[in-house]
Amino acid sequence: MKKKTRLDNVTAFTMLIPIVVLLTIFVVIPFIYALYVSFYDWSFYQDSEFVGWSNFSNVLSDPLFMMSIETGLKFALFVVPAQMILAFFFAHVIRGMGTKLSGFIKTSIYIPTIISGIIASIIFVFIYDYNAGLANVIVNMFGVENQAWLADAKTALGSIAIPAVWLGFGITSLIMLAGLLDIPESYYEAADLEGAGSWTKMVYITIPLMKNVVLYLLIVGFTGAIQQFELPLVMTGGGPLNETTTPNLYIFNHFRNDLLVGHSIASALLLFVVLGSISAIIFKVLNSEKAVDG
Amino acid sequence: MKLKDQIIKTMMYATGLLVAVVALFPLAWMVISGFKAKTEVLSTPFRFFPKDWMFSNYSSILEDPMFLKSMLVTFTGAVIFAVLSLIINSMAAYVFARLEFRFKRTLWVFVILTMFVPGMAILLTSFIVVTKMHMLDTMAVLILPGVASAGHMFFIRQFYLNIPLALEEAAFIDGANRWKIFTSIFFPMSYPVFVIVGIGSYLGYWNSFVWPTMTITNVDMFQIMQFLNTFRSERSTEMGLLMAGSTLAAIPTIILFLIFQKYIIKGIKISGLK
Repeated sequence: MKKKTRLDNVTAFTMLIPIVVLLTIFVVIPFIYALYVSFYDWSFYQDSEFVGWSNFSNVLSDPLFMMSIETGLKFALFVVPAQMILAFFFAHVIRGMGTKLSGFIKTSIYIPTIISGIIASIIFVFIYDYNAGLANVIVNMFGVENQAWLADAKTALGSIAIPAVWLGFGITSLIMLAGLLDIPESYYEAADLEGAGSWTKMVYITIPLMKNVVLYLLIVGFTGAIQQFELPLVMTGGGPLNETTTPNLYIFNHFRNDLLVGHSIASALLLFVVLGSISAIIFKVLNSEKAVDG
Repeated sequence: MKLKDQIIKTMMYATGLLVAVVALFPLAWMVISGFKAKTEVLSTPFRFFPKDWMFSNYSSILEDPMFLKSMLVTFTGAVIFAVLSLIINSMAAYVFARLEFRFKRTLWVFVILTMFVPGMAILLTSFIVVTKMHMLDTMAVLILPGVASAGHMFFIRQFYLNIPLALEEAAFIDGANRWKIFTSIFFPMSYPVFVIVGIGSYLGYWNSFVWPTMTITNVDMFQIMQFLNTFRSERSTEMGLLMAGSTLAAIPTIILFLIFQKYIIKGIKISGLK
């Protein structure tokens, strides 16, 4: 018993040095620095000046920032429910199939997940091409005229949501499938004996037992979608008329174009407060059982 | 009843295959467009297959020294990144899973809290930090900032918590110290979790775009996604070439995934929820 409480200070510290040093230099220091800069009129080229909360109030009164939050929320609303519903049904399809073919299908749907946002953007810019893109070929078949998918304020955001769904669909389905396979078959057998139909089984067994999986995917999907910015950065640059400027793209564009960075950092921190609380909730939910020892 | 089951089964197969085809279609189209002449990638009427299969796009993008260089530089960086990530994060995972030491709780909270710092909030100040450290345009700026990861550490630790204590105690009795136990018991047993974390790190590095764009200006150091995006904006008429380049840039990740897919798909179960 004594062995368990013996302290391995030296070994522990030696093995922890790399992670602690790297996280300090590349996460903690930049973060504290960002907190500091957010209260200053800081720039690369001039002395900084303490301005108190004014960066934050400027951000909050910037209509473009508010619009970007709204865009981020709209984008998440396009992506997350579509992805979840498709994945939920598709996970059932995979479960119902024989193992041989389902292996092939799992692999195929997962492949887009490992593709980068840049490659996805390159492909979809061509798919949305006005004159000869596939998207217009398809809508033409339904008698709809060519659309300027990415250049039209009405369709741009939705058009970017499609590659986002494409990139995330595979992993979402497979996590759903893992959740489905965790439900004991005996529950369904018992329900069969009671004469329950597939709808009843879905509502009373599958959905309640999938609650945690669904919650997890919702939160991860939501925070992921609202932070998306590579797709709009490459595909539209945030246009037309800022319709596809998600919050992170708003911040990124400010970094690139503003001399005074206090403003962009303040907006990043404001966004962080919201997203940080969401992540903390996820962590709490997921880690409630296996938290730190002791 | 039998017939109905048969129909349902057939419909499931059909849906499954259809979805797989739809999921792979954009990639297939990219690969095939790489065989088209530049005027044919976006020709009307739409054709999936090229009129004449030409290999010149693939061969000429491979002959482009900048393309090959960025593939090679990125690949080297990604491998180093993945290996370092496994070493650094698994050591910490082992320490937090098994050892007792002073300040354990404090250090744990310190490491875990870094998970909640979003990249965007520290993007600019990280840039300032690496500038002050004279790391711009070096391999170090691409590797060091992201290699220590609380998320990966946490994931490996969950795996270590499930390795039986008895194994370790037996080694103790044989006189092995902590390092020995870590390198000769934990490290080799980590294979399944290392595959997942290693590939995750590799992919994160290979696919990264924003950070290299900010920190790398020397074209000889260009990362592959940076190269592709620059190519896309500067030589936008060379569509077949761009498609061939994108295909080749996706191939290493796809091959890696296909080799280890069993572990990755199993890993989803662990990473998803438990």
